[in-house]
Amino acid sequence: MMNREGGQMKIQQMAFMIVAVFIFFTLVGLFFVSWQSRSIGRNAADLQKQQALSSIEVIRNMPELNCDLTEGLCVDEDKLNVLAAGLSDDYAEFWPVASVKVYKVYPSFETEGSKKCPGLNCNYWEVYDSGQTSSEEFSGYVNICKKMRERGSNYEKCEVGKLLVGVYET
Amino acid sequence: MKRAEFNFVWLFAIIAGGMILVLAVYGATRLGDTARFQSDTEIAKQISIITDPMQAGFAEGSFGKIIFHDETRINNWCFDGAGGDNRGSTTGGGFGRNSISVSSRSNVGEEWGLPGAEISIPNKYIFSNPSNSGKEYYVFSKPFKFPYKVADLIFLMSGEYCFIDAPDKINDEILGLGIPNIAIENCTSSDSEVKVCFGSGSASQCGSRDVVVYGACVSDCDRNLGVYTEGSIMKDDGRIEYVGGLMYGGIFSDKEIYNCNVKRLLYRTAKIAEIFGAKADLMNGRDCSTNLKPDLFLIEGMAMNSTSDDLLSLNVFVKQVEEKNKRELCGVW
Repeated sequence: MMNREGGQMKIQQMAFMIVAVFIFFTLVGLFFVSWQSRSIGRNAADLQKQQALSSIEVIRNMPELNCDLTEGLCVDEDKLNVLAAGLSDDYAEFWPVASVKVYKVYPSFETEGSKKCPGLNCNYWEVYDSGQTSSEEFSGYVNICKKMRERGSNYEKCEVGKLLVGVYET
Repeated sequence: MKRAEFNFVWLFAIIAGGMILVLAVYGATRLGDTARFQSDTEIAKQISIITDPMQAGFAEGSFGKIIFHDETRINNWCFDGAGGDNRGSTTGGGFGRNSISVSSRSNVGEEWGLPGAEISIPNKYIFSNPSNSGKEYYVFSKPFKFPYKVADLIFLMSGEYCFIDAPDKINDEILGLGIPNIAIENCTSSDSEVKVCFGSGSASQCGSRDVVVYGACVSDCDRNLGVYTEGSIMKDDGRIEYVGGLMYGGIFSDKEIYNCNVKRLLYRTAKIAEIFGAKADLMNGRDCSTNLKPDLFLIEGMAMNSTSDDLLSLNVFVKQVEEKNKRELCGVW
């Protein structure tokens, strides 16, 4: 009788031990999975930031925006007006970033306020916006130029601007 | 009695211990696979990012090298946006996309595991074979102009090539950019090297798995490229037509990926023509008048649903529009 009780006790001890080991490994597993998913999230966010940063140059050089001159850092004001007026809708899935905006540096927003282009005395083009609200943005300076013709000669009229691209959130 | 108790305890411990061991090994394998999937997906995304500065931009061409620690397989698929890709998929629309995935070679278990997640790249045109393996990848980029600049073409390759009887302009370009996997004339005769013969004169030096490039330009040709400004390419998977920088795409990529990317490029050509058409209206309003609007409208209509088979016929009209733009007072591009 005593031996049988002793045996049952040992089985119970063994069962508790197995349950404890199982719970221990489950907790370790959960900890690992949560650490892993945090690390995946961090890496994905870093990659999206890298993507946005490297995209500034790519977007500046896109034939849909650039000045067709043999120089970089220049976007065409006419193309900006065309795209901001709605022609960029087809490009929604084409942009590698969450938003593309171009601002004129002068006149500044502080003195004139923001006036969306196309329009008279406007200073701001919204080329693409995915609708993502809390997007981190990166920027780079650009020339905003347009072809002009006065008194029989052609020239490029340029202003200083800033290209802003938004980072896709993960 | 004591002996029976001893046996039971051992039996119990062996079964429970075995189960824990099996679960641990299974868990470790699954974790290894997940880590590999994650790392392969990150590499694919990084490839899409590091090819950004490798694009030609305003240059006539650019070259870069991607070196991996271990042997890596890069898979490239193309979806043309009009109902098909090189895997038979039939969804999506518009500009199409390239999708790349990566699988790294493993010394444990299966040599090439399942690739990581596909990274969709809608704004690049990557010409390569569907599956490429190697530690070193060569990224060569050329602009595609039709007649205005449409995009930068990216040629991704890992194999060795040898150009025979290529025009001087092409030889100078390859030597100037220092592309190490393309030999000029000095072929090694190794099985892994693909020979690229230019013209029917050198075609006899090329075998069935090699590439023969034929020039077909007779008027308004590039001064340096001559007949090779446009033409056709014969490969083991068939004949393809090329214009300008697309010649490299035809040489370095699979026929299906080439046709798919050309279709995407022609769609983008049409969309840019639409933008230029609207730009022409704005220019007309400020003494910078242009007569190109009807031509841009025609390019838009013709290129929208064209394929690589229409390239040469389209190029006849494109060359005329290019000449017209040069004669314009302001010029639309």
